[in-house]
Amino acid sequence: MRRRTMLAAGLAALPLAGCAGGRGEGRRVFRQFDPADQATGLAKAVKAWNTEHPDYTVTMETLSPNNPQQFAREANAGSGPDIAQLAFTDVSFMAEPRILTPLDRLMSSAPAEGQEDLLATDMTTYDRQSWAIPWTADTMALVFRPDVLEKSGVADTPEDWEELAEVSARITKDSGGDVSGFVFPAAAQYSSAQWFPINYYLWAHGSQLIRADGESWEVAVDEQQLADAMTYFNTFFTERITPAAMQAVTDYGDPSIVGALGEGSCAMTFMPPTAFRAARESIDAELMTAPMPCGLVDGATHLGGRALGINANCEEPEAAWAFVSHLLSPETFELYPQYPASAATLDRVDVDPSERGFTKQLPHAESFARYADAPITIASLQEQVNQQFSAVYSGQSEPEDASHKLLDALARGLEE
Amino acid sequence: MIASRLRSAQPYLLSAPALLVIGLLFLIPSVYNVVLAFQHLTPYQSPGEAEAAGLENFTDLWSSGDLPHAALNTVLWLTAATVVLRLGIGLGLALALESPILRRWRLRGVSRTIILIPWMVPQVVAIAAWRWILDGSTGVLNQALTGLGVIDQGVPFLAQTSTVWWSIIAIIVWRELPFVVMVLVAGLQSIPAEQYEAAAVDGAGRWASWRSVTVPHLRPVLTVVVLVTVIQTFNNFVYVWLTTGGGLGNATAVLATELYSAAFFDNDLGAGAAIGLLMTAIMAIFAVVYLRVTSTKGESR
Repeated sequence: MRRRTMLAAGLAALPLAGCAGGRGEGRRVFRQFDPADQATGLAKAVKAWNTEHPDYTVTMETLSPNNPQQFAREANAGSGPDIAQLAFTDVSFMAEPRILTPLDRLMSSAPAEGQEDLLATDMTTYDRQSWAIPWTADTMALVFRPDVLEKSGVADTPEDWEELAEVSARITKDSGGDVSGFVFPAAAQYSSAQWFPINYYLWAHGSQLIRADGESWEVAVDEQQLADAMTYFNTFFTERITPAAMQAVTDYGDPSIVGALGEGSCAMTFMPPTAFRAARESIDAELMTAPMPCGLVDGATHLGGRALGINANCEEPEAAWAFVSHLLSPETFELYPQYPASAATLDRVDVDPSERGFTKQLPHAESFARYADAPITIASLQEQVNQQFSAVYSGQSEPEDASHKLLDALARGLEE
Repeated sequence: MIASRLRSAQPYLLSAPALLVIGLLFLIPSVYNVVLAFQHLTPYQSPGEAEAAGLENFTDLWSSGDLPHAALNTVLWLTAATVVLRLGIGLGLALALESPILRRWRLRGVSRTIILIPWMVPQVVAIAAWRWILDGSTGVLNQALTGLGVIDQGVPFLAQTSTVWWSIIAIIVWRELPFVVMVLVAGLQSIPAEQYEAAAVDGAGRWASWRSVTVPHLRPVLTVVVLVTVIQTFNNFVYVWLTTGGGLGNATAVLATELYSAAFFDNDLGAGAAIGLLMTAIMAIFAVVYLRVTSTKGESR
């Protein structure tokens, strides 16, 4: 009986012991959300930190895919990881309820290397305070098979969107339909990667979905511009330049796209750096990158990336900041194959020649700050845009009807 | 005196732990969902920061314009079509599993195990596998059909409106059929053999004994199966979300995907809770009407 009581007491105390161990014995957590196979270099960087700082060791936790709402739930309940990797677009959501530690004091008292020339600080600033620090930078580049382009006599990648349509149509025609000139994921889901080229197309043609007008927001694209964009992308399906099956694909790294690149039945597509590297390693043929159409025009492509934030519940923000500074350092980027968000650190990183498309484009890319902090969330924008474009591809709507519906949805979202 | 009081309180004391668990696990979340439906709260805020919304979350449901379409999809395609197919195919398979031939050849155990396989596969894995099978260019089904000369080029099943719902239905029926089959098999096994023998003595043929013995005995089982599968499917989010996410356009949007979008893309937990409340109300009405109709039929018999 006594043994049973002891056992019950021990079992009841287990969760408490776990909590105590979590804080009291120096276990600090850094949470990142990239797939584990893309974070092996980062794990090495964390290990290097732990070797040098036995008094402040950090455990790297992977929670993939990105789930900012989980962090918010934990932080609101007084727990959560000490340091968190954040998507640029999520920082303001965390800043508003003050579940992150403002970094300005830490940044001025112990500046991190390269913090004075960071890209995308507009995405980490809220209410004139810094709530996170830009860490890595990326964008979408045109990914192509040089041999397939060469076969069709294409010497240079397209410089604008009209040229992309013309060149990719020619490649498909010359191959008798065996090669898709340009392949892009075109599913209706919010996460569908077509969101990026659609925005790039609009930005390159002088419009954007919404715009801040002082304190208020307004729709910044007209019905004709949207209908033109829908017609443009729909042409890839009506002309059979892009396989219809792409209308069910959301991800740029989808096996059907990577497989088609490998077979040579896809001439061009677009990808961010991590997906490009994974594709390059999985196929035998040579893959190259180039700037997207109009990619060298300022503000015609997006600057994405990751930021680092410190939980408002973190008990040792100074020590956490030291760890963040370590992750921002050139030494980390020697182990972690990402582009740093610091322009100075970016200059010091060796880039494979096949990745030059990204590095050429990055200085011209601009963050999604143009849509951030609007009454309608970027996720909602993505969902509405992808849904209406998909409705056109699948023949459910004419471009004019779909653009009208999309404008209505945007206006309604901004009213709320 | 005290002893008799304790004795009379005994039933309440004994059921108190169970009631407490029910209260904690079922009642509190349900009540909180109702409260949330009348509030504005983002997933990034703590519950204490919620603002009163009055009836706004409910009035917004009608102004969005997408909800009736999602509700129709939920009732017609997601629920009615898959439940009817599961019942039809499930009954056929249950009868086949109980057939004398399988018993004679001692194949009943193997057959049941094979039928259970889809149910053992996790939903997420099943959907991922089916997405791969149905892929328009590299999918196994298209390659087989092209190889057999049935079609000239691959059909993008998930990328055209004429086939997308049938593809989702195929996935749901494949994965969820074993539950229906197993429950109906249990129902068939519970019918006493003497009743069939008596029917045979009375000169009943196969059709007559099916109509007069099997169907009446299966009716209570079917009532439960229909109720459970309807509620389970009506509220299901995973199949549509992981297969199409509500696309093409919004062709496959259902109430559960609208709920998710409202709560986690629009950052409006209150709006999501309002849709959840609407779904609960629809299912509650269905359950009451359905049970009343089926019990009335049973009583009249």
